[in-house]
Amino acid sequence: MNIDFFIDIDTVVHRLDGRTKILLFLFSFVALVLFEDPLYILPIGLLILTQNFLARAWVNIWRIRILLTILTISSVIMWNVFASGETHLFWFVDLESLLYSLARTMLILLMIISGMNLLSTTRNEELVLGMIKLGLPYRVGFAISTSLRMVPTISSSIYTISQAQRSRGLDLESGNILERIKKYIPLLIPVFISTIRGTNVFGMALESKGFGAREERTFYLAMEMERRDWLVFAFCILVMATAIYLNSLGYGDIAGLTKF
Amino acid sequence: MTDQAIEIKDFKFRYRGTKELALDGISLNVSKGEFLVLMGASEAGKSTLCASMNGLIPHYQRGKIKGNVSILGMDTRENKVADMSEYIGMVFQDFEAQLFSTNVELEIAFGPENFAVEREEIGRRIEKNLAYVGLEEFRNRPPSTLSGGQKQKLAIASVLAMQPQVLVMDEPTTDLDPISKQGVFDIVNQLRQRDDITLLVVEHETEETLNADRIALIRDGKIVRVGPVRDILRDVDFLEEMGIMPLGIPRLFNQMNYPVLPLTPKEGVEEFSKTGWKISGEKYAQLLANEAGADEKKGNLLIQCKDLEHTYPNGVKALKGIDLDIYQGEIVAIVGQNGSGKTTLAKHLNALLTPTEGEVFVNGLHTGEQGVYEIGKKVGYVFQNPDHQIFSELVYDEIAFGLRLRDVPEEEIDQRVKEALEAVGLTGFEQEDPFSLTKSGRQRVAVASVLAVKPDVLILDEPTTGLDYIEQRSMMEMVKELNRQGSTIIFVTHHMWVVAEYAKKVFVIKDGKLLLSGSTREVFSKEDELIESFLRPPHFVQFSNLLGKTFLTPDEMISAIEKD
Repeated sequence: MNIDFFIDIDTVVHRLDGRTKILLFLFSFVALVLFEDPLYILPIGLLILTQNFLARAWVNIWRIRILLTILTISSVIMWNVFASGETHLFWFVDLESLLYSLARTMLILLMIISGMNLLSTTRNEELVLGMIKLGLPYRVGFAISTSLRMVPTISSSIYTISQAQRSRGLDLESGNILERIKKYIPLLIPVFISTIRGTNVFGMALESKGFGAREERTFYLAMEMERRDWLVFAFCILVMATAIYLNSLGYGDIAGLTKF
Repeated sequence: MTDQAIEIKDFKFRYRGTKELALDGISLNVSKGEFLVLMGASEAGKSTLCASMNGLIPHYQRGKIKGNVSILGMDTRENKVADMSEYIGMVFQDFEAQLFSTNVELEIAFGPENFAVEREEIGRRIEKNLAYVGLEEFRNRPPSTLSGGQKQKLAIASVLAMQPQVLVMDEPTTDLDPISKQGVFDIVNQLRQRDDITLLVVEHETEETLNADRIALIRDGKIVRVGPVRDILRDVDFLEEMGIMPLGIPRLFNQMNYPVLPLTPKEGVEEFSKTGWKISGEKYAQLLANEAGADEKKGNLLIQCKDLEHTYPNGVKALKGIDLDIYQGEIVAIVGQNGSGKTTLAKHLNALLTPTEGEVFVNGLHTGEQGVYEIGKKVGYVFQNPDHQIFSELVYDEIAFGLRLRDVPEEEIDQRVKEALEAVGLTGFEQEDPFSLTKSGRQRVAVASVLAVKPDVLILDEPTTGLDYIEQRSMMEMVKELNRQGSTIIFVTHHMWVVAEYAKKVFVIKDGKLLLSGSTREVFSKEDELIESFLRPPHFVQFSNLLGKTFLTPDEMISAIEKD
């Protein structure tokens, strides 16, 4: 089972510098949280989707479609509970709260897509190097990338363990919630233990390869900010500035919305 | 400067929280350029000794330490692991956990990067070491997509890129098929030619040690003997006593009380021609006739695969049309290269996986319609790694788990747990914590937990991997006994001697297809076809093939030898 998100192809987005891709992700986050009105989120959303299209990273979004669907449904309902407005529609839903919940849902989905754009187009090492060049200490960068690396390892051990327990007669699909939670114990304990054992070897192997031997360290991966990076960077600043300006003028809020 | 690469003086180590010494007064010198193999039973202290060499002990794994370990004159107490790593490289058994990068080149770059080696120089080292281990064409591949043997070669290349003067390998080939194993040892032998590198390798398989200079035998944390390879390998009885598998060829000559003990198949054939012994054609024919007779008495058809194909959700086609029949009471081995599809095949036999094309029947029942819950009652499956299933605090509860899930009454559970424990030789362990047992103990708990459900068929995935010779033997003797009592046994394995001595029938899988099948003797007589699927029979069987007859064990051959 391959659960790595990085897609090893050559696209315009892949060719961008790691730093640019990280900044794109951070900028999109800032731009998204500024607005409450879905209409203002829409253009930023289109930009993120364009990036996704150019990176040919739609497959990764498709892979998590079930998660996204669940998030969409629960988020659209939930935000209505936490907000109210003046124009009542039905039940606990007002026009303003509906718009607000749509905006929040878009925010969550777009954040995930933007994050996926980053992971789909950036190698783990490039991500670390990008973070370090942006000022993060190497060890912190490495820790982040290691935890990303752990995800596929753990999910493949969950897969094996659930097969082992199923063949002993464990049926995870039946029973009420309480019973089901109890059934997960035979999965969780072996997952924890094998992960801990694996991490131990990982730590030893890491030390044995001289991790942290020198204050300074070189990077084989070359990374240069090129003209296209500066262009993307400039474009991002422009979008950000516009967003902040509009926001400061009071655009993008929903009139008559009360948040709890 | 000293000419010793490794100097260990009266070294003792006790892990924190344990009472017994893991290493108890080790003294060992390895000179520069030497190739030393370290052998011993499980828990003898091999891995602890390896970890002591580059300072993982005492810096990473804490405990009480006495005596000295010095590598190229550097004391491990005074130097951090990361600093030592420039001089002493380490390759671990677990090839998944020691690779961290997203492509092959970057994996090799990782070590030199830590020592701030210039980019151009790293580039040169990548080229050199990729070529050295023969992975040039994989340079842009993610390590996770490589086969087990390739991963281990990559691990070696990534350590060599740091240009260490001492290389320690802790059971580098345990999880590999025979030819991948040989591939790794070919690299080791290549390294041996170089006098700028000292090698210390922990190895279970005696056949692979023939090219080393010396063997050190370790037991209960003490070095029992160190000597030239050929001397030690000829001491058949002593090896057996140490829990190390003696080579079949010297064992045969030893049992025949012949004064000269050849080691390799070639030497064996040469020596055999001098003995004046003859293999009785009559007795060999008798052996074959007995086998044919047993085959005719076979039981009912139990498992049937019809044009079985399996494609994983990611599009990888793991099985490409397999037809096979397994009969009641058989003991069958499924063998093949890492990634050939043998585990995928085994998982179809208890309905953990269902065919994407074709059909599998167990006892006439369609696996796709019945599912693993139903089929699982008839076909038990023991996974390779017992840690993937053990979760209870008591051995008793672990074994009762499957029974409780199937609502067996408590009194009966009591009885069945007792029987299962007896079958695996763990009577009296009911109230023990399974996690405190050794690997082989945990393996037995896993087998018992499956046995308790009383399946007709038992599938074992790599039942002997990670065990030492004595543990492997007792595991397989237990399996044999279960078979004698009526269980049908199917096991997946890389260990060819286990196949030779315990399987009656063999299925060879290659690239998702059934390449060969037949009695073990038939299959092992076809060496060329086996090599094609990355397998080769044990030295002893190769030796007998060279003599024109296929014998599976020395005892079998002895019974057919006629002295003049």
